[in-house]
Amino acid sequence: MWQEFVKQFITRKGYISVLDGLVVTVEIAVLGLLIGVLIGTLIAVVRVMPKYKTLPRVLDKICGCYVELFRGTPMVVQLLIGYWVLLPAMDIQVNSGVPVAIIMFGLNSGAYVSEIMRGGINSVDPGQMEAGRAVGLPYATTMMKIVVPQAVKNILPTLGNEFIVLIKETSIVSFIAVTDLYKSFKQLGDPTYNYTVPYLMLALTYLIMVLVISAGVRALETKLKKSEK
Amino acid sequence: MEKEVTLNETVLSVRGLTKKFGNLEVLRGLDLDIRDGEQIAIIGPSGCGKSTFLRCLNCMEDPTSGSILFDGEDIADMKVDINKHREHIGMVFQQFNLFNNKTVIENIMLAPVYVGVRDLKAKKRKNFFTKLLNVFRKEKKALLPIETTEAQIKAAAKEKAEALLHRIGLEEKANVYPSTLSGGQKQRIAIIRALAMNPKVILFDEPTSALDPEMVGEVLDLMKQLAREGMTMIIVTHEMGFAREVADRVLFIDEGQIKEQGSPEELFKNPKDERLKEFLSKVL
Repeated sequence: MWQEFVKQFITRKGYISVLDGLVVTVEIAVLGLLIGVLIGTLIAVVRVMPKYKTLPRVLDKICGCYVELFRGTPMVVQLLIGYWVLLPAMDIQVNSGVPVAIIMFGLNSGAYVSEIMRGGINSVDPGQMEAGRAVGLPYATTMMKIVVPQAVKNILPTLGNEFIVLIKETSIVSFIAVTDLYKSFKQLGDPTYNYTVPYLMLALTYLIMVLVISAGVRALETKLKKSEK
Repeated sequence: MEKEVTLNETVLSVRGLTKKFGNLEVLRGLDLDIRDGEQIAIIGPSGCGKSTFLRCLNCMEDPTSGSILFDGEDIADMKVDINKHREHIGMVFQQFNLFNNKTVIENIMLAPVYVGVRDLKAKKRKNFFTKLLNVFRKEKKALLPIETTEAQIKAAAKEKAEALLHRIGLEEKANVYPSTLSGGQKQRIAIIRALAMNPKVILFDEPTSALDPEMVGEVLDLMKQLAREGMTMIIVTHEMGFAREVADRVLFIDEGQIKEQGSPEELFKNPKDERLKEFLSKVL
């Protein structure tokens, strides 16, 4: 069993496809999170805006629908719809599902990050916004320069958690024919139909990645805390 | 402290200011003229609307009705660009509200740099379009003169911030974050942050109420200095001694109205309003 795996992994150059898969997985998760944070921040800012006027109220409703839509359907379904429904509908040809996966994970994660970010923004002392407005800074500038940086610091652990969820959830991208970490390990077992070692190794790889991320987030937290002393 | 305040021009002119929170009527029609170089203290029992009144003066709270004339414009009008006017109305808060994610010097520089760079960019944009249209014009339009660069704006703001920090003796705190400062230091930095914008008037919202007793003095001293230099100040305060010493005029607000106003001597020695007498008997 073990020898079979070693044979596939080393002698038949399986490690190359595994590394490629790893890159794809990380790529989708990191870029997805980046898009997610961008979208999430934007939505959160819209949703905490004061709502005296009509425009913020309409935008708030739209953002609300977006969040409910992406939280209310499974990620796999969103991925399938993105690849098999939206792409043909827009008449776009792609060589690989990776860009689709990145965008869909970004959109999905944006919905979750927006709720996290909203909590973070609400946790910042309202006096910070007032002080910014009082010196003549516009709402958006104060938000981006003063409030959001403090909010991000408050929600860093939760954001790290979102990244962990995201990187594990990318294991479904084989649904749209992307060869990620899961698929590349599966291929190692395919010649013999014996998946024991490949799948255990797959689990171990994910576990190591997650542990590295948690350590990174913790280090970042300590660093940010120190910067204010 | 005798001063010729009547000759100076009016900085802020408030007429018929009201403010409602839902059905609660907090301010019921206040009128006030504030002259350049005048120091006004606002006193009154808690919940009387004095802080709300102050916060209405720079539209931190939007007035329900009434007008506030500043710089020839009614800033209570929602159509007016309030940010432009707030640059010239400083505000000091009870809770200091220094930007926690910025160092002390960044706190002071942030708004001047923002305003300078914004105006510079606006000029450049305008010049670009003038140039573009000049191509089609027979008589070329003159470009706006651009004398500064972004780097110069930043350098000037930094120099000014350093000078202000030097003034309050906190130069060595320039690069630390606010969380390491004492309350008194924070409040003095908040005051010079307001000063960095060269405001025409500074609003103080109970500036010493959140301070430990031993730090009240340093903040009041700085405010007295500003008063002596002729800064126009409106101060909501519980420090009756300070109001008496510094203010040219004291307003007593109760039930959302100015019940009595006058010079400190007048108001503290011969209060006429019943509520004011009662209030003074409690606090003095």
